Amino acid sequence: MTSDAAADLPKHARERLEGLRDTSRRGGIFTSDFSVNEFLMVGEAGFEPLGLVVGSCIYHTGIQYAGWGKNQEMAVLSQAMYEARELAMTRMEQEAQSLSADGVVGVRLEVKRMDWDKDILEFLAIGTAIAHSKGHPGFKGPGGKPFTSDLSGQDLWMLLQSGYRPLALVMGSCVYHVAHQGMLQSLGNVGRNVEMPLFTQAMYDARELAMERMQQEAKEAGAEGVVAVQLHEGSHNWQPHVIEFFSVGTAVKPIEDAAVIPERLIPQIVIPVND
Amino acid sequence: MAPFRPPGGRSPDEGAALARQTAWTEALARGTLPSFVKERLAETMSGARPWVTTASPAGLLAQRSHGIRPLGLVSGNCWFHFGYSWTRGHYEGWHTALDRLRLEAGLMGANAVVDVTLRVRRMPGTENEDHMDYGVTGTAVRLDGLPESTNPALATVSALEFARLLESGIVPVGLAIGAHYDWFVASGYGTANAASFWNQELAPLSSFLTRVRRQALQELRDDGVRLGSGVLAHTQHTELYRVEPDENNPYPRFLARYIALGTAILHDSRTRRPLAVRPVTSVRDPRLLAATDTTREVL
Repeated sequence: MTSDAAADLPKHARERLEGLRDTSRRGGIFTSDFSVNEFLMVGEAGFEPLGLVVGSCIYHTGIQYAGWGKNQEMAVLSQAMYEARELAMTRMEQEAQSLSADGVVGVRLEVKRMDWDKDILEFLAIGTAIAHSKGHPGFKGPGGKPFTSDLSGQDLWMLLQSGYRPLALVMGSCVYHVAHQGMLQSLGNVGRNVEMPLFTQAMYDARELAMERMQQEAKEAGAEGVVAVQLHEGSHNWQPHVIEFFSVGTAVKPIEDAAVIPERLIPQIVIPVND
Repeated sequence: MAPFRPPGGRSPDEGAALARQTAWTEALARGTLPSFVKERLAETMSGARPWVTTASPAGLLAQRSHGIRPLGLVSGNCWFHFGYSWTRGHYEGWHTALDRLRLEAGLMGANAVVDVTLRVRRMPGTENEDHMDYGVTGTAVRLDGLPESTNPALATVSALEFARLLESGIVPVGLAIGAHYDWFVASGYGTANAASFWNQELAPLSSFLTRVRRQALQELRDDGVRLGSGVLAHTQHTELYRVEPDENNPYPRFLARYIALGTAILHDSRTRRPLAVRPVTSVRDPRLLAATDTTREVL
């Protein structure tokens, strides 16, 4: 067990983790939210599950007022969304480290609004810690920490067969205030079919910032690419005209000796006949 | 608290933010993109920044085996105000957004954009219905052996399906769109039928909605004819609103909107390559979600 990571965890978390399988405690039992197929494919990929790892963070978002007629990033909220996700992810990684895991797959990042206070959000990161069955040292993420990925067990297997390995779940977030239109501008639009350039521009800028940040995170992780990228938009009960763009994906790196795809894996035309 | 500097983000100082806004305004008015976006796209294309794809690892494998190389996620959008025609606005909104997506892909020298998805967005916290944003995203790809292209083909299908089409001798050439909307005034219909105890079809509404759909599908067909010889994998979206009577409108009114879009293909059934079909068991299965917790959003 990594002593620093273990020392930072509360007693009940340590007790739970100690009951789980670990590379030095083979007798423990594992927990996971794997489906049957997923469990089998993680094994095929050469890994075994150690346990469900979790990190959460209840976060109070600060206050920021935007200019009514101004397109601008809400830096306080962007920071809040970044920091809270980061805290949840770090806590989950800490649990994985204490299990001596090589990585965490099937990571889900969730955010939940609290009914009693619109400024309080819960962030949750949960996934299954896994370790290479034969102790292969080449699968760790950046800085020798466990890799993180939102890919399923099947996708992990497929990724490895494709000649890539996961490094880190990377994300980019931007909370943005979209300018309100002035009365004259609104009147000018009456009866006209016309683009609203200020609104268009705001969406462009927010999306660009989110994408750029995700790409930068991947670059800093030493990735060649980012796979299975999703772009989400949301508004977490914020004031009108405030929207978050959130991009997330798994940063990947080529496996050094996997330049050639095995013949058996060349994709074949498969058409489900029940569709 | 230290000033917020997210990874790769610029400092939020006033001057830089203003310059950024000005760059967007000028670039979009000229039908181009700001220099910082062009720079990011160029660096992504050259490998100085990581490539980005919406494809799953299975798609990644197919991309490698079939010589389809992901370049980056490209996007475009257009926030449109409807004055005299929703149908016309819808058409212009989607097409402007797609032209902008094509612009980003062209700057990366992409041969195609796969997995194109469309999204309608309304302003959070406002109920205004007379404007909305048309947003499109997709993955720009290069096909090995083809030179860089300035006018990439767009497709709603994934990279895997794109490869499957090409293997079968079918060429995806672009997106076909059909959209229509109309109003229906319920003068002879009223609310009596809907409040009745009897099972009965609301026939005027049925025929109204059918008419709107048929018109949109006719437009989809016309767009398909213009682009190629068929439309595949079309997705559709319907909205039906009821607007209560007011001082100018004594009867309830209904507004129906329908949009259908798909991938236009060029194919000739005489040259179609036969498929070798064999039964398989898929090892993919849907992600487990907390389905009972409706307030939870998966990020």
